[in-house]
Amino acid sequence: MPSMIGEALKGHLDLLLLAILAEGPAHGYAVIESLRRRSSGTFDLPEGTIYPALHRLESQGLLHSSWSEDSARRKRIYQMTPKGLQTLAKRQEEWMRFSKAINATVGI
Amino acid sequence: MKENRIQTYLRKLERHLWLRGLADQNDLAELESHLLETVEQGLDQGLSLVAAETQALERFGSVKIVVSTFEKERKSVMQNILLAVAVLAGLFSAYVDSRPTWDDTGILAGGLLMISGLLTLLGHRKPWLIALAVGIWIPLHDIYLSHDFRLLLVLLFPLVGAYGGWLVRLGIRKTLHPA
Repeated sequence: MPSMIGEALKGHLDLLLLAILAEGPAHGYAVIESLRRRSSGTFDLPEGTIYPALHRLESQGLLHSSWSEDSARRKRIYQMTPKGLQTLAKRQEEWMRFSKAINATVGI
Repeated sequence: MKENRIQTYLRKLERHLWLRGLADQNDLAELESHLLETVEQGLDQGLSLVAAETQALERFGSVKIVVSTFEKERKSVMQNILLAVAVLAGLFSAYVDSRPTWDDTGILAGGLLMISGLLTLLGHRKPWLIALAVGIWIPLHDIYLSHDFRLLLVLLFPLVGAYGGWLVRLGIRKTLHPA
């Protein structure tokens, strides 16, 4: 059975990815590492499943990607677009309301 | 030269993505870059090459999980439009077939075959679904009237068309983007 955290995480993956990329451009590996580190290992999805979400966010115009040749290996670097920043602000606001309501309901 | 585990994994992943019309060389290059970076990180931590590759693949997820995520995320508006066109074409065929003045089964069968083929050629990724959406209406209508289930054989025409179009599309993609 899928873990509760894993299933809940899928519903909020866009918000998490946008929040990480709002801090600056990064390639997929760095985004995944950041997701793991900032959640102290709690958000530990199979790494290969993050890329389709990044590609979808790009096709929605929330991210832009370009290939970097700076290092020994080619890397696809993602960065936020203005539309991505607007969407992030909206999603953060929704999350605040949602988490506040959940906390009030469960008595935290 | 013997292929390493990462290359074997990537070839399998590419094959499964390609079969679903999802393979993209840029995406695969990105996934390869990620896996090689994870292996390098494992080696830096003192793991053997085999252990580092194993760890990288475990963290990445099975081919099945990754392919299924790509499939879910790429459900595009175009897939729904093509399916809607298939349903409309199927309903129109059933309407034409139900007219008392219509008596050309050959043209209708050819029409079902061609429209199904065209829709999968244009990019719908599920030939069986297109065949069903195009071809189910004539047998449904006729079975309702005659209770003759042999009429389900009509579905063979859109099935042949849909899989034909799908195979041609895969062939075109393979020619344009050789693995």
